[in-house]
Amino acid sequence: MTIFKTSRGRRLIADILTYAVLVTMTIFCLGPIVWMFLTSLKVEADIVTSQMQYIPRTITFQNYRAIWTQSNFPVLITNSLVVTTITVAICVLTGTLAAYAFSRLSFRGRDRLMLSYLLVRMFPAVMVIIPLFVMMRTVGLVDSRFGLALAYTSFLLPLFVWMLKGFFDAAPKELESAARIDGSTRLGAMVRIILPLARNGLVASSVFIAIAAWNEFIFALMLTTGQGSRTWPVGLQLMVGEFQLPWGVLAAGGILSILPVVILFAIVQRAMVQGLTAGAVKG
Amino acid sequence: MKPALHRGPLTRLGDLSETRYWVYFLLFPSLILLLLVVAYPTLYGFVISVREMRLTRPGLNGWVGAKHYVAMMSDRVFWISLKNTAIWVAAAIAIEVTLGFIAAIALNRNVPGTKLFGVLILLPYFLPNVVAGHMWALLLDPRLGVINDLLVRGGVLSTYKAWFADPATALAATILVEAWHGFPFFALLFLAGLKGIPEDLYKAAAVDGAGPVRQFQLITVPMLRTVITAAVILRVISLVNSPDLLLVLTGGGPGNATQVLSLYAFQTAYREFNFGYAGALSVVMFVILMVFATLYIRFTRVSKE
Repeated sequence: MTIFKTSRGRRLIADILTYAVLVTMTIFCLGPIVWMFLTSLKVEADIVTSQMQYIPRTITFQNYRAIWTQSNFPVLITNSLVVTTITVAICVLTGTLAAYAFSRLSFRGRDRLMLSYLLVRMFPAVMVIIPLFVMMRTVGLVDSRFGLALAYTSFLLPLFVWMLKGFFDAAPKELESAARIDGSTRLGAMVRIILPLARNGLVASSVFIAIAAWNEFIFALMLTTGQGSRTWPVGLQLMVGEFQLPWGVLAAGGILSILPVVILFAIVQRAMVQGLTAGAVKG
Repeated sequence: MKPALHRGPLTRLGDLSETRYWVYFLLFPSLILLLLVVAYPTLYGFVISVREMRLTRPGLNGWVGAKHYVAMMSDRVFWISLKNTAIWVAAAIAIEVTLGFIAAIALNRNVPGTKLFGVLILLPYFLPNVVAGHMWALLLDPRLGVINDLLVRGGVLSTYKAWFADPATALAATILVEAWHGFPFFALLFLAGLKGIPEDLYKAAAVDGAGPVRQFQLITVPMLRTVITAAVILRVISLVNSPDLLLVLTGGGPGNATQVLSLYAFQTAYREFNFGYAGALSVVMFVILMVFATLYIRFTRVSKE
């Protein structure tokens, strides 16, 4: 076994091992998704068979057509889009200011306040949702898209602030100082220098919370009572209970709901990963 | 370079940004929002937990003190849920940390294609819980599940198995799904941590005669300690708090085999509409998390020094 003796041989073995691990994990991660996709293309007879049919014998888009027409899909998707958009808008408007303050200004109790923003995530969702439900019923925000978006900010705003602060920290201080020497106000320096520098981070953080809002289930389930604001994940879940949809239709619904997530994730993946890790590693 | 503006609102805002009030101006919107949607509901939650509050019986709405907490002590389901929560979280975290570590080390090696593999391996973390749940219900289905088929073909099983319906396997099956969904989170953070370790450290260790195992013990693990601590605590919090996956997969059943605290609180609130008791359950969850977090952080700090 001379291959273990030389460093070249050892590296070769390590490389082979690396690929073995990566391929195995990729199969583990993607296998279920691929299976769902294949199922969504199958006709009913190919799904419910005594002999497992791995590759669809005939490819059909019937399942996708069915989910579009039978499930109130357009309303649910519109609700999800609107709630996600409002959530992102609220977080960007208020969170960017806070992240800037945490990153660039020093004030008393800064670290403690930042930590309490993070502490918010420790509160059990159910614990926050029950009072929220009672509160929102009082002010008439139950089953409203705005109310749901407001509820989402309870756990997404802190995340957004922490992530974006990491990106602000990475923007060089010198450029800001230079602008200030040139007579720019703090506001001017923030808008003209820092925000453009952190643009990628802003996009990545926004996409991250957009995905989380799009996927959110438990708040949406509890704070919606009807069609007014029912989101796509809730709709999908309720369909299973009410109609016992065939697997093909359900798989098609799953594929449709992860499509935007996959596309967004692929586009901003690198920046998002940087931001997530920056926040977590420092925190 | 700046055009001479009239003293419009923007200029005035610019002037404000030079004062010491600016920081409050920046923090005010997010702070108000968080007080409104988190702090106030949380306090309200504590209040609900010492009151009687049932949506089905609006007349009942009074102070009951520790009644719910006392009732909890003799509630069999509460203790089962507590035990299941501990098992569920501990097992899921152990598997996710292990898989995350292996993935991060593999992804951190300089072989071609790691970027693409990275994207593919991270994907599950970004999928909705609801979809992940149903996808795995399909994969593990007792009649149509492809995993059963593969296991039978491979000779591991003799017949198809109803993984989620059997009390002996239900919890394990849900842990598998959670591990699939959650391990990329650890892979992501560990990978970032690994990239932050200077290459020189390993070279110096190699010169001193330390093999790969010693290098791992003496450099990798200590350098990653902060990341591991942060990742574990974040994940514990979200695992304890969110009933989503179990709600979709098993609803706590069969029997109470997969019942956890968050799901029990959820069902108490929205199936029985007993908000008071559900509030008390969430307060207990919150207190347990706080105690755990404090002890955990103290313990990991002590061991670092």
